[in-house]
Amino acid sequence: MFNKLLPVLGVLMMLQTSGLGAVGCDLNEPDRDVKRFFSEMTSYKTEYFSVKKSGGEKLYELVQQRYGAKFKGLYETIDVPYTVYTVLIGKTVVGYIHGVNQKGKYGGLQVFLALDPKGIIIQQYFQKMTGSYAGKFRDRAFSSQFAGLSLADFIGYDVNTGKIPPKSKLNQIINPVPAAVDDFSAALSGIKKNLILMNIFVFSQKEAGK
Amino acid sequence: MINIYQVAFKNLLRKKTRSALTIVGIALSAWVLVSLFGFNNGYEHSLNRDIDNLGYQMIVTAKGCPYEAATLMLKGGTGLRYLKENLTNEIIKNREVEKITPMLMQVVLDPNKGESGGLAAFLGVDPATYPAMKSFLKFQEGGWFKPDSQKEVVLGYEAAELEQREVGDIYLIPEKNIELKVTGILKRTGTQDDGTIFVPIKTLQQAFGKTGQVTGIGIKVSKDADIARFEDKMYNLPDVQVVSLIQVKQTILNLVGTAKVMVLSIAIIAIVIALLGVINTVLMSVLERYQEIGILKSIGAMPLDIFRMVWTETLILCGIGSLVGIVLALLLAQISDLMIRRIIPYAPSGVLVQVDLSLMMFTLLVMVLIGLLGGIYPAWRAANIRPLEAIRAEGE
Repeated sequence: MFNKLLPVLGVLMMLQTSGLGAVGCDLNEPDRDVKRFFSEMTSYKTEYFSVKKSGGEKLYELVQQRYGAKFKGLYETIDVPYTVYTVLIGKTVVGYIHGVNQKGKYGGLQVFLALDPKGIIIQQYFQKMTGSYAGKFRDRAFSSQFAGLSLADFIGYDVNTGKIPPKSKLNQIINPVPAAVDDFSAALSGIKKNLILMNIFVFSQKEAGK
Repeated sequence: MINIYQVAFKNLLRKKTRSALTIVGIALSAWVLVSLFGFNNGYEHSLNRDIDNLGYQMIVTAKGCPYEAATLMLKGGTGLRYLKENLTNEIIKNREVEKITPMLMQVVLDPNKGESGGLAAFLGVDPATYPAMKSFLKFQEGGWFKPDSQKEVVLGYEAAELEQREVGDIYLIPEKNIELKVTGILKRTGTQDDGTIFVPIKTLQQAFGKTGQVTGIGIKVSKDADIARFEDKMYNLPDVQVVSLIQVKQTILNLVGTAKVMVLSIAIIAIVIALLGVINTVLMSVLERYQEIGILKSIGAMPLDIFRMVWTETLILCGIGSLVGIVLALLLAQISDLMIRRIIPYAPSGVLVQVDLSLMMFTLLVMVLIGLLGGIYPAWRAANIRPLEAIRAEGE
């Protein structure tokens, strides 16, 4: 019976449909991954945001303006769903986790940030990165450099040229692979985009008392 | 002057709650019926479309390897078995074969995907034959690689989205560190093609050291061919396994058939309950109007008039109930679709519950006929009321 069904199973997999919405950036295994960022956490809740639902075209323009470049390509569309994990100890919010997709030189980067309730980076993490040197970017030695930074530190970063303002704390970030300038810039751009979106979806809402 | 339909309608309005509940019962039956027949239409149509979208009706793989996708899932990509590529030359000699295309599936563990690495799967396809066989695939950007191309790649939409690739970008095969240029990104198809990374078969064979080897051969059989006989012929080839999509389709339909029988049984029960509801409502109404009908007859109403009046009440109940049920089915088609997807063993892409005008008309007709059938007895009882007995009963 099993042998008879196996070929069918194979073909079913070929026929299997997939979702038709824009793809966001989720943690692969939220239960495990959230615990890794916030070991003391007792629970977390998952919420979905999109620029389209949060403010439409006007907000989309604002996001791009703050980012400093037009969103390019097929995928950075207004309806991309963004997943925000709100991490709790008891009933107290202790932080947030949020990821974005960013174009890298050889493939997509999935840039995650664990933030404290004020929007300060606790930890940075590339869930996915393509390139022979990707391991060095995913290494703790690189990601730990972002701890303590916030949107204010990134807002002056030019995503078009990769230029960092002279007095910016970003000057202290060391590129682990000097030859991989494109992916280093993509990493900083991804973090900037992530922080802008978190500011819009979560922190500005908190300030507005919503 | 008031006509028979108005009289019947006014009679139903006398007991609004009872009439409404009867209509709800009929509406639910009609809803189940429309959804069931809509599913019958939609499922087979979608399944055929999915199978047609594969581009071939038969896949030849190595014996012991039912199909690479299944093996990938069950063995994590380690259990692939291979056929000699030159087997295609032998297969194409058969007159039943219209088109043929060799395929090679390969998998690498990308250590930089997730915490403990993730699999990246590649489908090596022949640039000369595969695009022709999958001519229905449309491109979001760019197109297929050239027949003699080597270092190029075409991405399904979701694969491209995950990798954030556009035409002209570089794509790197993890572990092998081979750079490929993106020549095309497919439009969404709703099938596994969306997540597939297509590479020229020669490139993949070289990259993975599998020169002259394939994991599957897709065969498009000519329209007039006897597929069953051809399948037997294929089994004469050494060490091959044949997966016919006709057989696959039949197996799926058999699996789904069980679910269909269950739903049909529920539909029949619902219809019977609705029918009993109609009989009960109309009969109650007749008995309550026993004296009234007697008076009607005493002032000249003929048995046929009374029969028509009661039957018309049934017609109104069934007509309104059926229309409400059909509208419900139309409005809730997407919800029905979602519910069905949860319970059936395999749900193809596309619309599963396909409700069209002919189905709506058919359901209306069936429900009205069933209702009229159910209305015969109460109408006959009403038509046969004796005026004097009825009037006397009022006095008592």
